[in-house]
Amino acid sequence: MPWVTDIHPTTEELNACVQCGLCLPVCPTFRLTGRETASPRGRLHAMSAVHQGLVEVDEAFASILDFCLGCRACEPVCPGLVPYGRALEGARAEIVEQVPGRGNRRRWLLGAGLGSRSLMGAATTAVSLAQRLGLTRLAPGRLRRLASGMRKLSARPPATVGHTGGSGDAGTIALLAGCIQDQWFGGVNHTAIELLERAGHRVTVPVTQTCCGALAAHDGKAAEARRLAERNVRALGSADLVVATAAGCSAHLIGYGHWADGGQAMASKTVDVTVAVARAIEEGRLPRLRGTRGPIAVQDPCHLRHGQRVVDEPRMILRAAGYEVVEIDDAALCCGAAGIYTVLQPEASERLGNQKAAQVRSTGVSRVSSANPGCEMQLRSHLGSDYVVRHPIEWYAMAVDEEFAG
Amino acid sequence: MSLLAELRAVLGREDVLEEPVELYVYSKDASLMRGEATAVVFPQDSAEVAEIVRVAERHGVPIVARGAGTGLAAGASPTEGGIVLSTTAMTSLEIDPENRTAWVGAGVINLDLSKAAEPFGLHFAPDPSSQSACTIGGNVANNSGGPHCLAEGSTTSHVLGLEVVLAGGEVVTLGGDAPDTPGLDLKGVIVGSEGTLGIVTRALVRLLPIEPDVRTLLMDFPDMEGAARTVSQVIAAGLVPAALELMDQRMTVAVENWLHAGLPIDSAAVLLAEVVGETVGVESQAQLIADIGRANRAKKVQIAADAAERDLLWKGRKSAFGAIAQLAPDYYLHDAVVPRTKLVETMTAVYDIADKYDLTMLNVFHAGDGNLHPLIAFDASDPEVNRRVHQAGDEIVAICLKNGGALSGEHGIGVEKRDLMRTSFSELDLDAQARLKDVFDPGRVFNPNKILPEGSRCFDFGGVRREIPDGAWV
Repeated sequence: MPWVTDIHPTTEELNACVQCGLCLPVCPTFRLTGRETASPRGRLHAMSAVHQGLVEVDEAFASILDFCLGCRACEPVCPGLVPYGRALEGARAEIVEQVPGRGNRRRWLLGAGLGSRSLMGAATTAVSLAQRLGLTRLAPGRLRRLASGMRKLSARPPATVGHTGGSGDAGTIALLAGCIQDQWFGGVNHTAIELLERAGHRVTVPVTQTCCGALAAHDGKAAEARRLAERNVRALGSADLVVATAAGCSAHLIGYGHWADGGQAMASKTVDVTVAVARAIEEGRLPRLRGTRGPIAVQDPCHLRHGQRVVDEPRMILRAAGYEVVEIDDAALCCGAAGIYTVLQPEASERLGNQKAAQVRSTGVSRVSSANPGCEMQLRSHLGSDYVVRHPIEWYAMAVDEEFAG
Repeated sequence: MSLLAELRAVLGREDVLEEPVELYVYSKDASLMRGEATAVVFPQDSAEVAEIVRVAERHGVPIVARGAGTGLAAGASPTEGGIVLSTTAMTSLEIDPENRTAWVGAGVINLDLSKAAEPFGLHFAPDPSSQSACTIGGNVANNSGGPHCLAEGSTTSHVLGLEVVLAGGEVVTLGGDAPDTPGLDLKGVIVGSEGTLGIVTRALVRLLPIEPDVRTLLMDFPDMEGAARTVSQVIAAGLVPAALELMDQRMTVAVENWLHAGLPIDSAAVLLAEVVGETVGVESQAQLIADIGRANRAKKVQIAADAAERDLLWKGRKSAFGAIAQLAPDYYLHDAVVPRTKLVETMTAVYDIADKYDLTMLNVFHAGDGNLHPLIAFDASDPEVNRRVHQAGDEIVAICLKNGGALSGEHGIGVEKRDLMRTSFSELDLDAQARLKDVFDPGRVFNPNKILPEGSRCFDFGGVRREIPDGAWV
């Protein structure tokens, strides 16, 4: 067996593909290049070649899998039900183990930085300072692009970790704060806590939690992903419901069955915040508003729409707040953010970002809803400052405040 | 210079793939037959294709054209090695709404063409089940059909002209904008030739108006006979529905398991029928089809309420092949055609063959034009099972031909059905086809050893020798 890890792509996963090709047109990288080697079917085919011992896990194999966004748009259209995202994580873990130079510094820094609250805190203070002094405009190309996608940060953002509140009539919720989410998109977590408590939940944000491990898993760092998952299962697993406010995080928590003992039990009671809020509105625990508030363009994060098949909830939340929902892309092609893809594959990420921005512009709507921090940054950096990008629950909360203040 | 060096010189390093893992990914299409290419190339236009043809001729290596690789007969598998020429970079598209035509690059995806034509109220009629992925070049190569070809005809009815790169790298345009071009219908020769005569780089296609109204019916039956008889009687009643598709129970279960569309999984057969036209017409036609279905003991007749419901039903039908993966890692498929009146007895015989060889058989097919798609789901890694699958396949084809049918309706012959050509064609027929091939491709560069079995030429010893006495002139 040419594989060396215990999470390599399995015979069952690879056999589930009969190579019908229906995944090709929904794959953003196939669309960009027209290459089988940049398609889900081609990548599974390459994994099969390794599985059968025909080729090695080498640089050529790695570059085929590196180019994948991991957006999982291929999964909902696959009639063979191939668990592509799972197989991809397995193949990436093999690459890290077998291809020299794969645990390189750039990737290590990103992975470790995001997982550590103190490192993130230091980075946040630095970025905030740079923003105030206008230094972000002087950053080199790629960093400048990233910086232009960020929200305005405060030097010491009020973190939600450690918070407990709410009655609990509607059950307890453990909130995964997320590493980037809590420091750079704190507004989303504060809004989530406020709404969910108002909806009758007791919300806790346990201090013992850590990064969800999505970026480590996507990047092939299996041991790290396991360690983080196990810690979170202990920290969050006892609540009635586990909620994450970043779609990338909630999608990964839902896949914890692969990563931790007891992971499946927690996964089965984990939902994205859009699902929890939509449910509360549905059940009348959060209000439907009467006023009309104009159009909002809805962007679907891949790990919400393709990874969790959550499509209606963000739209329902916006409509309940009186907004008119404007679609930007029926196929919901990836915006090119895709975790650290922006850094690792800047050219493809740039092209996809421009494509998505063009789709938004063509709607003529300047308010955009996105339920994932990576997508939000990508959208903001490609759309510029004339556009306002916010999480759907923030748009909802703003409308609630408006209605009840007025 | 070496072959690879010459290709790189023509296209640049980026557009020539040569790593073993890359070549493996391009070693087959959606069929079961694998080959081994030396290089994969991505030309941008006919000029680059012409250069590649000349390079291949100089080196005496085959060229296999490939679109999306959704073919089911190994037409795009490099079974004789050589160069895989991917058409996916040739995606030019010019729609002429007034003439209702479009010049389309070979690499344009079938459904993308219809989406681009939609704002003009037009669409491209051939709609293979793989239409969301398959390319126009592949449609032309295989003369592809699809559910809606019952009323509108297959690809050849919709091709007005072709830009083709021939042997020697000569670029020609066959047919054209004029309603009727003089001389032999050479484009008709190219359509369906599976890349064995030249490389199609662009096609001028006919676009049809989008019908004003549509009704899609789903009927389920306690037995296959009732469904098949409904099909015959609908046509006999003088209706030409846009589509008449049948799915057996096992197939319906596999599709429903993925789609969750509420398909009737307890019924032996599901019939999907669609009628198009003016509202008054479609209402009465739908009613008539429903009546015929009920007379044949349809358990339930459901009419799609809106576009979303209709799309869901079609999505189920069109993703059926992929759903087989839930049952087994491989499938073997024939697409033989039988007269509609023979549907019931042919279907019964086909299931009996599967039982005889102890194989899992599923059926999903274009019932309206008698185009069967009996699928055997199996695991190709077991050689004994493989043998039984191919024996059963041969018997299925034999029974279809005996019932007055044809070898292939729309998928092409490629390699998978090549050796069955003798069951349909005489030695003289095959020789004539081989001579045609030789006129176009004297150097045998274009997709060699596809379609025609070895020994098709009368002077080709191998196939014919056995029947010719020693010393005879041939």
